[in-house]
Parts: sequence; C-alpha cells; structure tokens
Amino acid sequence: MEQATSGRPAHANAPALEARNLAKTFGAFRALKGVDLEIGEAEVVSVLGENGSGKSTLVKILSGYHEPDPGGSLRMSGVEVPLPVPLGQARTVGLSFVYQDLGLAGELQVVENLFVGQRVTRGLRSAARIDWRSERRHAREIFARYGVELDPSAQVGRLRPTSQALLAIVRAAYELRDYREHNRGAGGVLVLDEPTVFLPEHEKVFLFDLVRRISAEGFGVLFVSHDMTAVREIAHRAVVLRDGAKVGDVLMEQASDADLIELVSGHRLDRSEIERVTGGAAARDSAESSDGAAASGAVVFAAHGVSGGRVRNVDFELHAGEILGIAGLLGAGSEDLPYLLFGDLPGGGGEVSIGDWRGQVSQLSPRESIRHGVALVPADRKAHGAVPELPVSMNMLSLSLESFMHSRFLRLDRLLGVANERTEEYDVRPRDASLSMSSLSGGNQQKVVLARWLERGPRVLLLHEPTQGVDVATRHQIYELMRERAAQGAGILWVSTDFDELAAVSHRILICAYGEIQGVLAAPYSRDKITSAVYSATAGGAAREVSTGS
Amino acid sequence: MTTNVEPSADEAGPAKAGGPPPAARRSRGRLSPRLAEASLLPFAFLLVIIGFSIARPDTFFQWSNFTSIFGLNSVEFILVMALLIPLTNGDLDLSVAEISGMTAVLVGWLNVNQGWAIVPAILVALAVGLLCGALNGWIIVRFDVNPFIITLATGSIFDGIAFWLPNQQTIPGISTHLADWTVLTHVLGIPLDFWYGIVLMLVMFYVLTFTPFGQRALFVGQSREVARLSGFRVSSTRFWAFVVAGLIAALSGVINDGVLGAATPQNQGTLLLSVYAAAFLGFTTIQPGRFNAIGAGVSVFFLAIAVNGMNLLGAQSYVQSLFYGIFLVVAVVASRVINRRRAAAAAARGAG
Repeated sequence: MEQATSGRPAHANAPALEARNLAKTFGAFRALKGVDLEIGEAEVVSVLGENGSGKSTLVKILSGYHEPDPGGSLRMSGVEVPLPVPLGQARTVGLSFVYQDLGLAGELQVVENLFVGQRVTRGLRSAARIDWRSERRHAREIFARYGVELDPSAQVGRLRPTSQALLAIVRAAYELRDYREHNRGAGGVLVLDEPTVFLPEHEKVFLFDLVRRISAEGFGVLFVSHDMTAVREIAHRAVVLRDGAKVGDVLMEQASDADLIELVSGHRLDRSEIERVTGGAAARDSAESSDGAAASGAVVFAAHGVSGGRVRNVDFELHAGEILGIAGLLGAGSEDLPYLLFGDLPGGGGEVSIGDWRGQVSQLSPRESIRHGVALVPADRKAHGAVPELPVSMNMLSLSLESFMHSRFLRLDRLLGVANERTEEYDVRPRDASLSMSSLSGGNQQKVVLARWLERGPRVLLLHEPTQGVDVATRHQIYELMRERAAQGAGILWVSTDFDELAAVSHRILICAYGEIQGVLAAPYSRDKITSAVYSATAGGAAREVSTGS
Repeated sequence: MTTNVEPSADEAGPAKAGGPPPAARRSRGRLSPRLAEASLLPFAFLLVIIGFSIARPDTFFQWSNFTSIFGLNSVEFILVMALLIPLTNGDLDLSVAEISGMTAVLVGWLNVNQGWAIVPAILVALAVGLLCGALNGWIIVRFDVNPFIITLATGSIFDGIAFWLPNQQTIPGISTHLADWTVLTHVLGIPLDFWYGIVLMLVMFYVLTFTPFGQRALFVGQSREVARLSGFRVSSTRFWAFVVAGLIAALSGVINDGVLGAATPQNQGTLLLSVYAAAFLGFTTIQPGRFNAIGAGVSVFFLAIAVNGMNLLGAQSYVQSLFYGIFLVVAVVASRVINRRRAAAAAARGAG
C-alpha cells in the first residue's frame, strides 16, 4: 500500500496544493480578495482568521461549494485543476474534507462508516456481496497504521466525540489513498475545518497524533481553526486572513502567539485591558468597578458558580438597562450559556437569581424561566426560533394567546389584527401577518421572533447570535430595538461571535474561553480589540501568561 | 417518522390591514384561491350526490337513505374526531379502531356475559378506553418512541383482547336501552347517534380553533423544539391527546353496540383506513392545511355516501377497502401538493 519511492515524475516535488489569486465576490462584498495558498507534501498549514475573514469562503472554494471569481488557479501536485472544483468530487482531485459536523452515521458501526465511500456503486454492483469479516480486519489494519484505537464493530453514536472525530479523519485520509493510487503515489491534501472545537482539551492530543501520522505519510494538511493552542501544537506554518485578504504567512516557530493574534486582529492587546478574574467575588467586584452609566441599574439577573454543557463555574451580574456582551470563539462555552441559563440544558448546576427569585439552575426550565420574565432568542432560527409553516401572526403572538381570549373564544381575527399592527411597529415586511413565516426574509423572521418575546415585556433577554443570517439594515434595526429595551430597564445578555456587533452594542464585555469567564474587557470597544482579547484568552489557556513576542 | 405528520400551512381567514399585496390584488374579482380550495370537497360532495341521484333516483335519492347513512356511520364520525388532536401534535394513533372494537366487545361482555347493568358497563368501557390511550401516551412520551409503531403494536394487543374476551363469538342481546339511546330515537328524523357526533365535532372544532391549547398543539406538531423553548408543555400535550383519543375511541365502540345491538369481535382495518382517509381528506377542506373537525366530519359522510351510492349501483362490499385506500392516497398527496403550492405562493407574495 505504501507509495512507490522510485520513478516519480518530474513535478513530484511540486506542492501538494498550490492556489493562486483565489477571490470571491458576493454582490458588492468581496469575501476573498485574491489569496494565494501553498501546502507542501507532509506539511501542516493552518489558516487563521476571525469570523468573516474569508476562511470559510476559502474552504468552500476548495470543496467546490463556491465558484471562485475568474482569474484564480489551483494546482494539485503540479497538475492544473479546472475551477470550480466539481461539487462533491473534490476527492477526485486530491482534496478530502472533515468538517466540524463530522458526517458520520451515528446508528451505524465504525466499519460501515469507514468504508462508506466504497459503497457508491450502481446497478448490479450494488448487490455484490460484502465480506464483513475481511472488512473488519481491513479496518483494524487501517486503525493500527494510524495508531488509533477503535473497535470496527462499535456503534459510532456511542463513541466519545473525540473517537468520532478520529474516525472521520481516518476515513478522510483513507479516501485520499485512492487518489494517490491514481496519481503516481503523490499528493493529496486533508482539509480539517474546525475539528477540535467541541472536543475536551485533554483529548485533543489524540487528534494531534493522528494528524502528525497522516502528514508523515506525505499528505498535506490544511488545518482551519480558531484554537490557537491546537494550531501551535501541529501546524508548521500559519496563513492569516483578515477582511478577505492574506495578511500573514509565517512559520510557526518564528511567530509568538502575540504576533499571530496581532495579525489576526490587527490589534496588539495591552494585557492590563483584560481584568483577570479569579473567583466569583472578583467577578462581581469587577462588574461593579466598571460600572458605566448603563450598568448602574439594579441587578436583574445573576449567575453564581453556574456550570453545565461546556460552561464551567461562571459568575456574572446583569444590571437593568445593561447590554452585557459575552465574547468567545466557537467552542469556548459561550454558545451554551444562554440555553443553560434558560433551563434548556440538562445537568446544569449552580445558582441563579432572576429579579427577586433565587434558585438552582437545575430548577429552571424554559417554562419556569419565561414565568420569571426571561426570554431566549436562539441562534438557530429554523430549528429553535420559529415555525416556518405557521403564519407570522401565530409565530409572533404564540406566547400571548391568553390575551386574545374573549368569552372563552380565542379570537384569531383580533390576534391577526394586533399582529398586523406589530408588523408596522417592528417594520416587518411585508406588512401582512397572515403570510407564512417561510415567506419572510431572514431579517424579517428575526424581527418576528424578537417581537414575540418583547410582547411579554421581559426583564431579561438572553440573545444568542441574534443577527445571524440577517441583512445589514435589519441588523441595525435590531441593535436599535435592543438599545431601546435596555433603556426601558431590561437586562440583555448578548452572546455573539460577531465582535463588530458586540463592540457596537455592549456596555460591558466579558471574555469567555475554556468554558469560563476569563475577565472583563475594559472599554472602549472595537472589533479588533475584542478579537485580540478573545484569542489571547484562548491561546494563553486559563492560567498561562501570553508571551509578548519580542 | 419525523415529528411532522403533515406540514400545515397558514391559517384561514383573509389578510387585513397594510393593503393587499400585489398577487392578492391581481386575483380580486375572481374566486379567491383559498376559498376555492376550501370549498373543493363540498363541491365534489355535491357532484357525487347529484350523480348518484340521477343514476339511482329511487333508492339513492331518498330521505330515508340519507338518514340511514347518517345513523349508520356515526362510529366513523365519532372515531375520526379521536385522530385530530394527535395528528395536530404530529402523532399518528393507529390503535383507535382497535380500542373502539375492544370496548364494543367489553360492553357486550359485561352486559350480557357478566350480567352487569348497561350504564356501569358503558362507564367501565369508557374508562378502559381512556386507560388504553394513557398507556399509548405514556409509552410514547416517557420512552420517546415512535407513535406509529407503538400504536400499531398496542392496537394489535387490543385486537387480541377483543377476540379473546368473548371467545371469538358474537355477543348478541345487548340491553335495548343502548339502542334507544342511539339509533332508535330520532331527532329531526335522524338517529340520535348522529347528533352525538355533531356535538363532538363542534367541541373538537372549538378546542382546535378557539383555544390556546389548540394553537399550541400546532406548534408542538410543527416543531417540538420551538414549542419547548416557548415554554409549552410538549410531553403533556402529546400525552393528553392520546388519552382523549382513547376515550373518544371507546365512545365510538359503545355507539357501535347500540347501532348493531350486538358486539362482534372483528378486524378493524377498514374502519381505521376510513377514518384516516376522512381525516386527511378533511385536511384539504374547510380549513385547508389544518386537521380540522368540520372538514373531517364532512369527509366521513362524503366517503360514506360515495360507498353507499356504489353499493346501490351493484358494487360488491370489497369496494370499500379499495375505495378508502385510494382516497387515503389521494387525500395525502393532495394535502401535500396544496401545501407546496401554498408555500410557493406565499414565498412569491413575500418577495413581492
């Protein structure tokens, strides 16, 4: 199975991947501005960049999902690949992808998942006999070669997340060997898109070992990640993107974390700008010490030692009239916080107080939270926020049905009338609440979701990525709407990975990494400063000091 | 099976305020598509009646024929109402016909074989139906398992009990009081059992359309996640829907004894098919895009009259199976197509 070492063609030493001038324009927006990328054989290259830097556009061009603007080129092991890469066929040009969503069938066995690529057959070949015993043996050989401990007959859904990630990566590497056999035994690039995000810190080492073994076989690896520790661990070189352009291409051994963070964010952080927090008391102190005019209201919501999901031992206080931003990278735990505080994640612990009510997180449920005046606007609008098939009126007023009861009859006509008024008030277009939710644009749908919660006059709003998939104009309407509500005395917890947004709306920003609140960022805020702070917190680990580089 | 039995579309009732969007303006002056859709089935109903009346004026187009259809189909009429809340919740209950059959046998067995008075026998049968529903609901909600398979299985259990209890024999001689309370007493020339169905239909119409419960059930059926994050009691809504379904199914079983004067253990496949055909046919009419009580009620009699007409034309009894099967397929496909068209139309209006 090992590739031939002799008789390689002349361009065998060409880079495994060589992209020139890749660009992508969406309407007037230039998501990627002519980026070059080179990955040598056996080289691990990391692409760094914050959200919106063009990272995912680059990956999507390589996978064939996006057609790049004309003028770019791609060579794999020296062979010109016509662009766009045929969608779903990236493997045939030597690119294999593992995404954060691993693409495994959880109900099936390891061996069935591993060889799924060979099951793509037609006609009578689909009825060919599969010898499971030899397939399992073959799977064991592959796992042994990559030093991965997996039982071929285990059910994938029961494996630990780390084992699932290992399986997905082994499968991708195995699939690349096919390409090699047709390519004189050279080339092949494995693309890992945020594979470590949701894995426990101490298990990531297995993944690093695997990636090293794969790269030792001569495959190029493109490692896309926010995780500075992981990048530092396995990448030889880092390509940094900012606002769609390449701003750095550095050898890891020559760059300090601070250098990288400055490249990513365009901002060099003064360490004193993050007020370190060591315990709950300190968090409260710092919350009080940084009291601006807005944070001086009464505490409407407080968390004391709250844990659950990826959140560990979080303390904070949210004041009436305050928008409290939580900045963290994906996987930092911040994405679980709103749901945990709303009582929607099982197994939570710690204490919360909502207004006068005090209790354990485990006592909360969405129903209970709503009763205490808490609202949750989830990130995934399609799955959690609204029902696309039902009309706007129902989606908007589903929490206030009781107020439309008149002598034991729910008056849907009045409900529709009020909903139509609200479309005016919240500028939902078109102004027709009888339309089904699915006929609205993302921005208008989000305004309906917000209107539903605001109808109840909540004193606490938990927002998770509230402007995801929302157009720019609506985005600013939503900011304005939330500022108004805060001014009227609501406390708003705003969790987002859009740091531009957090800089624009937050009165106070907490930095989250490793499931913990790392500290309060000192005002004034800018996107670059938040980015820098978040990456520093992530790169430094919970306790490590960030080196200053020079 | 996913949580959705059927995607439902936006609510009935004309748009107000804000001015009609362009597409609506264009269609003004003609019959609105929504109204046309809602009245399609009643229109077909009328055509069927006219057709059979011309073909068989002496037998079909007689008041007595209609009253007997009304009286004889009250079991289906009542039973279809059992399906509506679970269907709105996104749950299929396939055991209702067997609950109906089992409770019918139970009333006969208690009343005739055990010598119970008819009223306690009925009350026990209703309680048993309720418990059967509770069993379904508990298993499905507690263990988060597929209601389709579970009710298929429990239905088979109830069916087995129905045959086992009377040792596979028909139980004749059920108290004539029951017949008095159902088929023998006429109001406006139509047997009393039909009016029970009417009352139940109106109650169900009220619950589904005019209560917050009914509207929340729509959310439960469309998206469990959204419903849960809205603080709705998803599990309890689903559980109680099965309980109510069991109770209504038992009621239809009791009525069946009154209509027949005897309890016969029998295969309930055709009954189940006919009520599902009616429920899905009802989905396309009156309040299109919703499992609605009046649409379901109208559909029961549409199917019954069509079968009656064909029988009078000389068709054999197997025509029922054929006919219900065909209509279930047609109704499900039609409701799907209606929803797609409506979604597309709504998207076009929304974009405009």
